[in-house]
Amino acid sequence: MAEAPTGNEVTRRRRSRSDRRRSTATTRETGVWYPKAYWPSFAAPGVLWLAVWFLLPFYVVLSVAFGSVDPAFRLAEPTFQFWWWDFSTFQETLEGFYVAPAIYQDPAIRTLTYVIVASTVCLMVGYPIAYFTARHAGRWRSLILVLLVAPFWISYLMRVYAWQSLLQPDGYINDILGVVGVEPILWLSGKQFTVILGLVYGYIPFMILPLYASLDRIQQSHLEAGRDLGAGPARTFLRVTLPLSKQAILAGLVIVALPMFGDYYTNDLLGSDATSTLGNMVDNAIVQAGQQPAAGGLAIVLMVLVLIPMLYYMRETRRAISRTS
Amino acid sequence: MPRRHPLEFSRRDFLRRAGGAAVAVPSLAAILAACGKPDEPGQTGSQARTLARPDKPVTLELNGDPIGADTPIEEGATLQVYNWSAYMYKKVLKNFEDKFGVTVEWTTFNNMEEGIQKLAAGQVDADVFFPTTDYISRLAQQDLIQPLQHALIPNMEANVWESFWNPGPFYDTGWRYTVPYTIYTTGVAYRRDHISDSEADAQGYELFFNQGAAGKISYYDSYRDALGMMLLRNGVTDPNSGDPAAITAAKDAILEMLNTYGARLTINGTYAKLPEDEYWVSQSWSGDIVGAKWYLPKGTSTDVLGFWYPEKGLIGNDTIVIPKNAKNPRLAHEFLNFFLDEEQGYVNFADWNGYQPPFTTIDPSALIDDGVVPEQLDRAVVTEDMFTTAYIQGELEPDIDDLWLAAWNEIQAGG
Repeated sequence: MAEAPTGNEVTRRRRSRSDRRRSTATTRETGVWYPKAYWPSFAAPGVLWLAVWFLLPFYVVLSVAFGSVDPAFRLAEPTFQFWWWDFSTFQETLEGFYVAPAIYQDPAIRTLTYVIVASTVCLMVGYPIAYFTARHAGRWRSLILVLLVAPFWISYLMRVYAWQSLLQPDGYINDILGVVGVEPILWLSGKQFTVILGLVYGYIPFMILPLYASLDRIQQSHLEAGRDLGAGPARTFLRVTLPLSKQAILAGLVIVALPMFGDYYTNDLLGSDATSTLGNMVDNAIVQAGQQPAAGGLAIVLMVLVLIPMLYYMRETRRAISRTS
Repeated sequence: MPRRHPLEFSRRDFLRRAGGAAVAVPSLAAILAACGKPDEPGQTGSQARTLARPDKPVTLELNGDPIGADTPIEEGATLQVYNWSAYMYKKVLKNFEDKFGVTVEWTTFNNMEEGIQKLAAGQVDADVFFPTTDYISRLAQQDLIQPLQHALIPNMEANVWESFWNPGPFYDTGWRYTVPYTIYTTGVAYRRDHISDSEADAQGYELFFNQGAAGKISYYDSYRDALGMMLLRNGVTDPNSGDPAAITAAKDAILEMLNTYGARLTINGTYAKLPEDEYWVSQSWSGDIVGAKWYLPKGTSTDVLGFWYPEKGLIGNDTIVIPKNAKNPRLAHEFLNFFLDEEQGYVNFADWNGYQPPFTTIDPSALIDDGVVPEQLDRAVVTEDMFTTAYIQGELEPDIDDLWLAAWNEIQAGG
């Protein structure tokens, strides 16, 4: 730990500087004068950003979902006055989840399955990589980190096209499998495996990097303490390393899972309608006449779904903070 | 309705969808316009109109006067063309620029809803626009397109099939607002190195349920075309059917094709993927299979391309119109006339597009002799008499459209 000045020292030092102003401005405990809005104003860019790029668009989504369509072209006619909102289309959209033929049920189940499986695989594969990089990579560490980030030099879209050609019926993967006598597999004909593979491939770096950052910060002395107290390597890992990286695991899971919920392009490129997710249903509805309010409704459902892991994460983070302070 | 994109970067299925995302965000104008009280449901619009059908042609009411025939050409103007992507040969646009000493600026849309929405909201400035026929009457009624000055489009009567101007197409008798751009049929394309012509002839639409081609089948990702063809395959003779049982049966057939025969819904199956041998059977607009030759890998002969089209199948055409608020209406008329010019229109078709213009000067056998259409694709050539016998899809009543869309949603949700 770096030597931090105690509160008293800071107060003393600052007070002497601001003594001169005392007569004209209010002083605080610290002795330094700041206008009341000084610190909160630092949040202004963020607040503005959120207002313009999140709250406003979200309100438009609500206005589309609870609005109408124009009678001629059947394109969305958002109702911006919330007192005139009409929830009947939203009601129908919700019924699409549980009233026969319940067309949204399968996409919803697929969405949840893909997100859960893909995030878990990301964690299972990503953790050892992060662990190795943080602990045992030695002089290779920087190289590994660079390699982890390297895929981002090429757009995700381009990389998925590469997967498309690898996975084609006559692509390299089938060629290699053919050597050991496996019949060509139609990877791109709506295979769940392929979609999950695509998701894992696309999001795993976002899992590894926070895990690495956290594992790298765990102090050697903590591990030594564990070993001193008689714990073997496995026990040390389970009792020291794992708990200390729990926040990073949660953060990694949230970072990969949230975008996966809305990811429709991976499935567009690697799956088919047999693997369509809620994101695909939103995307499909947007371009159909008369269906834009339904797209808005589905977006709201998706948002609520995403809120659940988000709220859990926030609760866990708050707990962790209150434990350490 | 049909969308083709010959010679375009082939991964456009994604681009089409990505482009769709833009639709949901209304313009500021739309927001302001919507600030009044929301309309009560069930008013004007579709109820007030008779839907155009080949046996019930519609003469659209004039929403104003056409521009005067003596309107001067807008010198040095920039003509704004709002079109489907890759649906027009750049060289022909260049010819137009050279002839009139103007600049052509080209803006594209990826699906009709996006095109209409941006046009209606004033998000694009367009001098010419390319709508599908089912939107024409609504565009005219909503004052979004302007009546044409026939005196400025002499090529119509000089070069175009008479049925398009006398009396004119069913969706716009007297061609008050539209000129035709391209014509096409919808059939089944197949790889002749895997499926013989006789097998294709014997099977027809059943090619989509051919065990030998399982996993190598593609079908258009476009609800009117997709369900429309299955209706015909099921023996329904109305491609605009509002019969729930017929629509359900068509939907079930598509689901069977997808789930049992490993078919894929895509927009570039015919023109881009069939030539690459990725698909052996695909739903195909005639222009897609004619344009497919540009996509064949080096060394592959055009002989591998086949096209089946029944005695009575689906047929249609696309149009060019001039938006009401066009800034260069006279130049826009010249543009319409230019693309109806026998030479320019032919170059656009033969050297690039694959989609045929309805010209009297185009002789079907010459197309084959000149190699524009490979010999075995003779059924992809469209002739005027086909329009009197084949099935044409028109605008649907909103409640019937909802039936179609509900069936389509179910397909997209994976059944």
